[in-house]
Amino acid sequence: MSCSSEYVQLLHKYLDLELTSSEEKMVKDHLHTCESCYQHFHELEKAVALVKSTSHIEAPLNFTEAVMNNLPREKRTVSWNR
Amino acid sequence: METIVKKRIKQVKKGDQNAFAEIVDLYKDKIYQLCYRMLGNAHEAEDIAQEAFIRAYVNIHTYDMNKKFSTWLYRIATNLSIDRIRKKKPDYYLDAEVSGTDGLNMYSQVAADVTLPEEELETLELQETIQKEILKLPDKYRTVIVLKYIDELSLIEISEILNIPVGTVKTRIHRGREALRKQLRHL
Repeated sequence: MSCSSEYVQLLHKYLDLELTSSEEKMVKDHLHTCESCYQHFHELEKAVALVKSTSHIEAPLNFTEAVMNNLPREKRTVSWNR
Repeated sequence: METIVKKRIKQVKKGDQNAFAEIVDLYKDKIYQLCYRMLGNAHEAEDIAQEAFIRAYVNIHTYDMNKKFSTWLYRIATNLSIDRIRKKKPDYYLDAEVSGTDGLNMYSQVAADVTLPEEELETLELQETIQKEILKLPDKYRTVIVLKYIDELSLIEISEILNIPVGTVKTRIHRGREALRKQLRHL
């Protein structure tokens, strides 16, 4: 864990696309030479990819109807009929 | 999309309740997804997502038309989800699996109803594992991770939704991501 905290910050900024091009080059060069930072970065990318892979859920059937049926009635001007 | 939404909101404000159905249709998947990832339980997610739309409707007069509607709606849903999390016992999820929800977890539901090919089953199991790890995050980290990676919102939008500085959003994302790195690296 030699170059940990400073580089870890940079790795996160890299993931958030917040590095200047010179910083980016420095990080990339570093990743080529530093095994532990490379490993760290790889694990971060993997975590992000896994979390993103869960992003496809749809609302249950009849969700909209359920919401519409639960709106306060006194505000209704037209009846909900679909 | 914002233009259509604003048109519909004007109609809602004038008392046309049906115009609101279109708004619900447009955002229901996003809002349900947010609630599900925050709460990890299909039943509660539906409950809170519905509540979010009902609150939006009831409070529509407080929505500032100059701002993005989705930001406002996300804020309502996020706050309701966090409130729900805080009302729970800390060990809720451990309990829920054994007794409480009677298999009302969306993955187990799917798995029980139909016979899935091996591959799909593995995908579902993996997704369930990831969801469990997301739920282990403290809520302030969980919220930013869900908004950023599952709803793909920008850091600025997240800061507006949560009403915290962008710098704080970044710090929380870094910490949440670090935690997930450690939790997910063995997968």
